[in-house]
Amino acid sequence: MLSRIAESLFWIGRYVERAESTARILDVHVHRVLEDPWLDGASAGRELLAAMGQPADFGLSVDSRRVTETLAYDPDRPFSITGALCAARENARTARVVVSSDVWECLNVTWNDLPHTEELARRMGPHVFFRYVRERTAMLAGLVDATLARDDGWRFLVLGRSLERVDMTSRLLSSSISDHPHSQSWISLLRSCGAHEAYLRTYRRAVDASRVAEFLLLDRLFPRSVYWSLALAEQILAELDGGRGRGSPRSTVDDTARRLVGRTRTELEFHSVDDLVADMPDLLASLQSTCSTVSAEVTARYFAREAPRSWAMEVPA
Amino acid sequence: MSWQIRIEHSTGYRYASPVLSSYNEVRIIPQTADAQLTLEATVRTEPAATTYRYWDYWGTQVTAFDLHTPHTELVVTGRSIVQTATAPVRPTDTPTWAQLASDPVADEFVEYLRPSASTGDDPALVEAARELAARHSPSEFIPAVGDWVRERLTYRPGTTGVHTAAVEAWHQGEGVCQDFAHLALVLMRAAGMPARYVSGYQHPSASAAVGETVAGQSHAWVEGWIGEWWGFDPTNAVPAGEQHVVVARGRDYNDVPPMRGVYSGGASTSLGVTVNVTRLA
Amino acid sequence: MADLFEGYPAEAAATAAWDEVFETSNTPREVYAALYDALQPLTSADLAARKAALDRAFRDAGITFNLFGEERPFPLDLVPRLIADDEWSVIERGVTQRVLALEAFLADLYGSAEVLADGIVPRRLVLTSAHYHRAAHGIDPPNGVRAHVSGIDLIRDEAGRFRVLEDNVRVPSEVSYVVENRRAMTRVFPELFATHRVRPVADYATHLLHALRASAPPEVADPTVVVLTPGVYNSAYFEHALLARQMGVELVEGRDLSVRDNKVTMRTTEGEQPVHVVYRRVDDDWLDPVHFRPESMVGCAGLVNAARAGHVTIANALGNGVADDKLMYTYVPELIRYYLGEEPILANVDTYRLEDPDQRAHVLDHLDSLVVKPVDGSGGKGIVIGPQASDEELAALRERVSEDPRGWIAQRVVRLSTSPTLADERLGPRHVDLRPFAVNDGNRVWVLPGGLTRVALPRGSLVVNSSQGGGSKDTWVLAGDPGRGVPQAPPGRIPVGNVRPAAGPDLGPVDSSDQQQQQQQNQSHQHQSHRHQSHRHQAVRRNLVAQESGDAAC
Repeated sequence: MLSRIAESLFWIGRYVERAESTARILDVHVHRVLEDPWLDGASAGRELLAAMGQPADFGLSVDSRRVTETLAYDPDRPFSITGALCAARENARTARVVVSSDVWECLNVTWNDLPHTEELARRMGPHVFFRYVRERTAMLAGLVDATLARDDGWRFLVLGRSLERVDMTSRLLSSSISDHPHSQSWISLLRSCGAHEAYLRTYRRAVDASRVAEFLLLDRLFPRSVYWSLALAEQILAELDGGRGRGSPRSTVDDTARRLVGRTRTELEFHSVDDLVADMPDLLASLQSTCSTVSAEVTARYFAREAPRSWAMEVPA
Repeated sequence: MSWQIRIEHSTGYRYASPVLSSYNEVRIIPQTADAQLTLEATVRTEPAATTYRYWDYWGTQVTAFDLHTPHTELVVTGRSIVQTATAPVRPTDTPTWAQLASDPVADEFVEYLRPSASTGDDPALVEAARELAARHSPSEFIPAVGDWVRERLTYRPGTTGVHTAAVEAWHQGEGVCQDFAHLALVLMRAAGMPARYVSGYQHPSASAAVGETVAGQSHAWVEGWIGEWWGFDPTNAVPAGEQHVVVARGRDYNDVPPMRGVYSGGASTSLGVTVNVTRLA
Repeated sequence: MADLFEGYPAEAAATAAWDEVFETSNTPREVYAALYDALQPLTSADLAARKAALDRAFRDAGITFNLFGEERPFPLDLVPRLIADDEWSVIERGVTQRVLALEAFLADLYGSAEVLADGIVPRRLVLTSAHYHRAAHGIDPPNGVRAHVSGIDLIRDEAGRFRVLEDNVRVPSEVSYVVENRRAMTRVFPELFATHRVRPVADYATHLLHALRASAPPEVADPTVVVLTPGVYNSAYFEHALLARQMGVELVEGRDLSVRDNKVTMRTTEGEQPVHVVYRRVDDDWLDPVHFRPESMVGCAGLVNAARAGHVTIANALGNGVADDKLMYTYVPELIRYYLGEEPILANVDTYRLEDPDQRAHVLDHLDSLVVKPVDGSGGKGIVIGPQASDEELAALRERVSEDPRGWIAQRVVRLSTSPTLADERLGPRHVDLRPFAVNDGNRVWVLPGGLTRVALPRGSLVVNSSQGGGSKDTWVLAGDPGRGVPQAPPGRIPVGNVRPAAGPDLGPVDSSDQQQQQQQNQSHQHQSHRHQSHRHQAVRRNLVAQESGDAAC
């Protein structure tokens, strides 16, 4: 597979996951601000923006409208939903030859209908928009599952998705770190990951901070947990590395990205549940930095991006 | 009498930052044609590269190579041994101006009759060409053009570049052999005589001692078609003879550049060109 | 009742052009009889609704082109253009003949140039063509093919004769619209296909891939073909992606390729992989910075010499543009006689060569009644249609032609044939041309049955180029009667004697007996239970039905 195309697939995975996660997070945030009379909407909004890496200026009032504008509609930023979907579509255009027509059309239609949906959401409330994004991304995931061969192209796409999911879940957790352990917001957190029902069936008891953290970070079976995503990323990196690695299979893992993901996954796996809440700030920060390092390593190794060559004429003698 | 000449031509570049890759074509291997015979020719590069040779449209042997190891300096050296021939006598039984203007000649030599990038027209030059042609037969015309050019251009290196057009050099009143040749071509073509640009080397001394190595130079002169091609060196006012080594012929310099290439990396500066020639026999 | 065709024949007759559909007022030509019958009962609202569905499908699939910075669905008119099999076989033979002559011409020009020595074409003409590339001299394509793909533009004149308007053997484009138009038409107008036997166009990519593989360097057993695109921002990117996808090959950009020692490779996740055939959609001037524009970033340095060394094939070959020159076009009938010893099957449009002083004088005197075209313009650029030009335009044209007679040709204004086209909710006559595509694999020239019919959408306009507001029509070459010896596409299915019915798909466990269900339901609303149940069954059945019709529409 062409390196350039592989890179596009990786970023389709990342951007689509980003759009979906952001839609989930925002949906919950907006409704929480509406439903919870005791919640300070402004500070929650400020925390959310900070967790997403888009801190608001100090003087600015951060109501949920502003949060939505920034994280949902802003077309010029690749971390807003609109921006992420545009970027995903552009990458799909580049990789048009390897993504199936179903996948391409799904993304293209999603992109075509964004302005209309945004307009609708401005009249009828943002939920319309979030729901649209969730449905379309779910459809896309289904089409990826049903119509892409399990070749390297698919692997890069899923690798991008897994890394982004780790990153997004950790950002989500860090937006709630300061909440009271029994606060309503932990339920919101679960909801935004689509994990509330799964959590209840797993623990069969009331929601509290340490269990939520445990579930979202460590659960072995839930596909949006950090552990699950890391394990998937690790497996894919191993498959990509297989047959390519130079190191002996009997000694250490040669591939930096794979080593990093494996180490992080192991650290999580053997982390004591009791310390989880206390260690969380550091843990989440390190998860986020792991994601970007791994992304950079994968880029360097597989996408072999070179600065665009520009040619100069030799000056005549 | 024929001469045997050994030529060592080296040209180089230095780059402001390492060049990651470069693709080049050099035209420095002397031709084997007419009375000239190339006995030996090699092209080496530093850093070393595999070279590929082909003959281009103009009949020039091109040496192409590409480099992919980072480098900050590139030197290309060509070595050759060539047997040259005495200047042929200027033919006297030549076509008339009217015959040169006939359709078959115009069709066959169309490339050598039309202005090219470096030999653009100018009304004053066309007028001068007409005047000269009126006073000379085609055969006498060629040396006469040489005289005309030498009266108007002073030989002064460094005043023009390889892409200076004939008209510019003429306005400037100075230039090097290339400009002399280009200006001569403008007049010859304006008068309706097929004319081509010749690039090569010149041994500087007509009475060179055998075995003595002296500094030579890349050189350029012209050929006019008067029933056959006849070479004349407007810079030195002599017919092209045993001191002249032909490398390439074309419409003007742009068809026969000794070295041309593209690279990706920092700005390049020329390390200059050195040519050493030795008369061997 | 307003008929779709009401007023059409009269309007068509007024254009003085050949009408594709109507022979005389209200009598459609034989080939259009079935289509006419199928369309006539429809209302313009019906057509409009289908048109909307079509645009939507094109937009969803990203089949758009960029017009004035806006992405618009490719304008496909719903009324197809029909060509009878006997007429098509003339076109097929004519196009093939033309391609073979052009191939021979190009091989000769970039080789021994006997055609020039023999004085068939003036040397001056070739050597002054902007697209004659001396850098291509000495590059011998492995199987001798230079025009792997050609697009020969045809028009039908007032007498109904097909004539060649121009040749495209440089980088012929727009074949993707032929393929996509057909796909779209079968979806929005399935019933039209039921009454016609239309020769398929979907296998174009198969033929192209076959020809490209056949052109690979002979020592390569299993050649790698790539499509080279300038990138996603190129207006034809959609086509590049479509062809690469349908051929199952990589779509590369210049930056994906590199050349070492005249071997071409592409950068993949598995390292550098060899490339043997480059189907390039990048113009000559940008293809290789070593030989052409040094600032090119969309090309690949070293590609030309790699081809010269015989390690890679460039398709179409470098320097083909010299044959597209519209002045060269006037010599093609001569070339057909010279190289093939045949008479041209398809005639040219009569053309004035402006380098000839007499012809030039005549043209300059009659500029207001002629079409004047630049010799190397494409996409309809620079064309001046005398009768429609202002005095200022003609004066400017006169000056430019006098300055550079080599740069222009003149032709009489041909009223291109007209075809009914949906505009303002009714059908009106619009002028059309036809671009058949030919693929040469070295053994055989295959002509895609159909080609692109382009439509000049504004009323009375003779300019069909999409960059100038042109549209297109699906072009149907009708298959002849099997008994008449016309070449037939192979049948799609091998008939089997007895169809053995398979067992139906397995069913899951029935969750509850009827009785149980009834009891569950009785808990809440007893009296509705029976109706409810039968509804459910109906719904299931309806689902199946819906699925079936969904299949049929695909």
